Amino acid sequence: MNPLMSWVKQARSLVAPALPQCLFCGRQARSSPDMPGICLSCYSRIPWIRRPRCQTCGRHVGCPDCSRSRGPVPIRCNRSAVAYTREMREILGQYKYRGNERLTPLLGQMLDKAYALLQKEQSDRQRTGGTLQTHFFCKPIMALKSNLSRSNLWQADLLVPVPVSTVRLLERGFNQAEQLAEVLCRRRDLLQLPLLVRTRHTAKQSFKSRSERLADMKHAFTGNMDAAVLHRLREQLDATAFRGQQRPLRIIIIDDIYTTGSTIRACADALHSLCESMGCTAEIYSLTWARS
Amino acid sequence: MKVAVYVVEQGGDWEARISLNMAVDQLWWTGRETNVPGWNRQPADRIVLLSRSLPLGWAVKLATACRFTGKMQHWDEAAWSRGAAALLKAEIRAEQAAGGGRGRDWPFEEVEMYRLVGAKGYGGGEEGSVDWGDGRSEWTGEWMNEHGNERTNARVDRRISEKADERVNGRRNERESEWTGGRMYGHGNERTNARVDRREELAAGADRLAEALAGRSLLQGEAEALVAEQLPELAGNWLAAAQLAYLQGRLRLEAAVCGTAGAALGLRRREVLRCLRCGSVPTGRTACAACGLAGCAYCEACLALGRSRACALLLRSAPLPAVRCTAGVAPTVTARRWGLSAAQAAAAAAALGFLAEPRKRSAAGGPERFLLWAVTGAGKTEITFPLLEAALAAGGRALIATPRRDVVLELAPRLAKAFPADVPAVLYGGSEDRWSRSRITLATTHQLLRFNQAFDLVIIDEIDAFPYHNDPMLAYAARQVCKPEGAFIYLSATPPVELQRLARFGRLPHARVPVRFHGYPLPVPRHVQMQPLNRCLKQGRLPKRLLQALQHSIDRKAQIFLFVSRIAHIDGLLLLLRRMYPNLTIEGTSSKDPARAGKVLEFREGTISLLVTTTILERGVTVPHSDVFILDADSGLFDEAALVQMAGRAGRSKDDPAGNVIFASAEWSRSQRAAISQIRRMNAMARRQGYFKS
Repeated sequence: MNPLMSWVKQARSLVAPALPQCLFCGRQARSSPDMPGICLSCYSRIPWIRRPRCQTCGRHVGCPDCSRSRGPVPIRCNRSAVAYTREMREILGQYKYRGNERLTPLLGQMLDKAYALLQKEQSDRQRTGGTLQTHFFCKPIMALKSNLSRSNLWQADLLVPVPVSTVRLLERGFNQAEQLAEVLCRRRDLLQLPLLVRTRHTAKQSFKSRSERLADMKHAFTGNMDAAVLHRLREQLDATAFRGQQRPLRIIIIDDIYTTGSTIRACADALHSLCESMGCTAEIYSLTWARS
Repeated sequence: MKVAVYVVEQGGDWEARISLNMAVDQLWWTGRETNVPGWNRQPADRIVLLSRSLPLGWAVKLATACRFTGKMQHWDEAAWSRGAAALLKAEIRAEQAAGGGRGRDWPFEEVEMYRLVGAKGYGGGEEGSVDWGDGRSEWTGEWMNEHGNERTNARVDRRISEKADERVNGRRNERESEWTGGRMYGHGNERTNARVDRREELAAGADRLAEALAGRSLLQGEAEALVAEQLPELAGNWLAAAQLAYLQGRLRLEAAVCGTAGAALGLRRREVLRCLRCGSVPTGRTACAACGLAGCAYCEACLALGRSRACALLLRSAPLPAVRCTAGVAPTVTARRWGLSAAQAAAAAAALGFLAEPRKRSAAGGPERFLLWAVTGAGKTEITFPLLEAALAAGGRALIATPRRDVVLELAPRLAKAFPADVPAVLYGGSEDRWSRSRITLATTHQLLRFNQAFDLVIIDEIDAFPYHNDPMLAYAARQVCKPEGAFIYLSATPPVELQRLARFGRLPHARVPVRFHGYPLPVPRHVQMQPLNRCLKQGRLPKRLLQALQHSIDRKAQIFLFVSRIAHIDGLLLLLRRMYPNLTIEGTSSKDPARAGKVLEFREGTISLLVTTTILERGVTVPHSDVFILDADSGLFDEAALVQMAGRAGRSKDDPAGNVIFASAEWSRSQRAAISQIRRMNAMARRQGYFKS
């Protein structure tokens, strides 16, 4: 190009208002006020799960899996931020397989919305379940106040990311669940601990049927026996005990996607037995970015 | 990934190397068994293993930045550790700033020195200054022992695998020990013969790998896929074969993102990180589990082809010599053989002459370029056939790169027919031939990123089209694929202004094909005055003169391309036109239309008689009996090239060579005038050269 023309072009681009590039569609457009980083039209198309139909697994549509098997489920409930539509699959692929880690804070922020939903639900439950006790000890006005205060909101004690196998970790360079948990930790001032390890390398889940996944995932995880990690878990247990709360440890398992729930259930089983060995009980929830 | 890095002294010369598999290097530098081809014959005198697992990017930098001085002869481990750390000072500091700092001597806590038996200075006074630890003397035992010794080897292996447990890099070392213990020596029955066999096997593997990777530029994952498909017998051990090929100097092991000299700032050249594959400057930096750094840079521009990062291994073959593409046949014979018209033959002869002339090795270097400026419908593809033939006849490799996938798919059978002996490798996103090798490669532009100095002749189709235009990544990729002594042929009907200027001033060799293959002049566009289209749509009617022209085309039963500048106008215009011409099949399509491919096909088949569309159909689609209407031709979105291309849709067939082209606009803009004058100029030139059918 003519050097003068290119100079003029550069000068013009200097004067023009800079619109940020949308992380989802790549176009330069006005970013949404709620989620800086993506444009308004992409934001409006996110398939949020605001009201899960299935109270157990957080699915946005009717869930035959949960109603079919009446067996004991190792988790209290799962909540997911978005429905796993074609667009969302594309986004997750960009992040997980192509390695566009610039999406981390954004996806983490989306997961945070699911956390907010879980928190609200659990707080409501706590309040309705625990009203009698509160009235008994405090004046009504105090109760109202403390209900609103942050300390009385339901909070998780611990986040545990689903681990990926060493092979995958070396190939990919990061564990998406751990990264998402990290964003959540920073936003909500929580703690994450790698309490789980993979016992074996399982082939990619996305190529398998439901029954294959369920069989494959059994005993794929076990508790982390690393002394430093267990020490920090002990500290966390002591801290909750110190606050005088006689309740089980609230653990949230973090993952990118919940499909059949086999991964989450296997993780929850491993966590229960780990907690048992530590002499405590746990209430396990799970939070995933997408629900298929 | 992490690799080992060491320096080696051989006959007074020092070299720094990286290693994917230390066992191979160990064998290489012992230099025994001189009868095995492909292996080093001269043993090394001394090896200083700086680190067994250093992030690849650092190791590569260390190996390239290492300058050897006489002082190093007397360095001990601590001195080597300090010296190596000094070379990586900037990196170590940046890493510590990112929160990844370790101990004081990190990352060179464990420098190991080895000396070979019989080597110069062995057993001399210097020995005392080197502190051989227990494990080390064991390993030297292996170095010194001519026929190896199973017990020693087993111990070495154990030591390696013990080390491996401490490190993240478990997988590589696991394979390493397996290789030494199992494959290289055979358990129990220790025989020199077996070892020779293994060496031969590995050397053969390295040969095959180097051949399969010739001219390639692949990330580790891509190379792994290539090996799995093309060389399945190497699958488990290909890194060892790659290491041997690297030691032989046939393969380059690079970090995909690495520092290059940037613009001079003051007295010192500042180092800039660059993605070696696509040439972009990486902007992302994240913690990486594969190399353990807190700030491992990665390239965001070419993510779609697999992530290129500072610790990702990029395998490239060593540069291959280029051939001169001389045709042994006279141009007239070639023309007759390929059935070229006079104008085509003249251009082909000019291009062949360019290919055959000896290269002027200018100071700037790099491949030379030739522009083939052929009007729309001139039959560019046929002109390239003699050039391809010349390249193949000289034993070279040729590439045709085109921006669009459908062109690749359309061209592939034609090429296969023209060159039955060489089945072209057809490459596009998701194609089957991804890793196959052929003398002719036909690829979309993004696939070029997977090659490096591979081709003697590179033909770039539609150089002005969308992906190259203003995409520095693809421009870089195109530059990279050609051998330094090779040649580029650019094809275009509307070359970018820069190339036109170079051609005009005689600084770019070029040939023009001013006439279509059928020998009739290009239709010259006519201007029709109209209000801006959005106003017409608001009023719900089109200007009378435009309607007259439309009616004329409909009466002569031509298929009509109706180009608009904005996707938003398509629906409104469709409503209006369907109301006015209820008997006509009218459709609209754009880049956002999911049914686009189907509609284009129907239009080609003639079931749709009027297609409202945007610039997406400015190229490629050829309909024999067609007229072209461009509304809002004064829009800024239609530049001269786009107008010429759209006008080029008309009059393509020899049965209907004179189609109508209408520019409808409120203003008679510069680009419209330039487009018309370009078309007129080409026609005048064709007339002057006597190419028109009388």
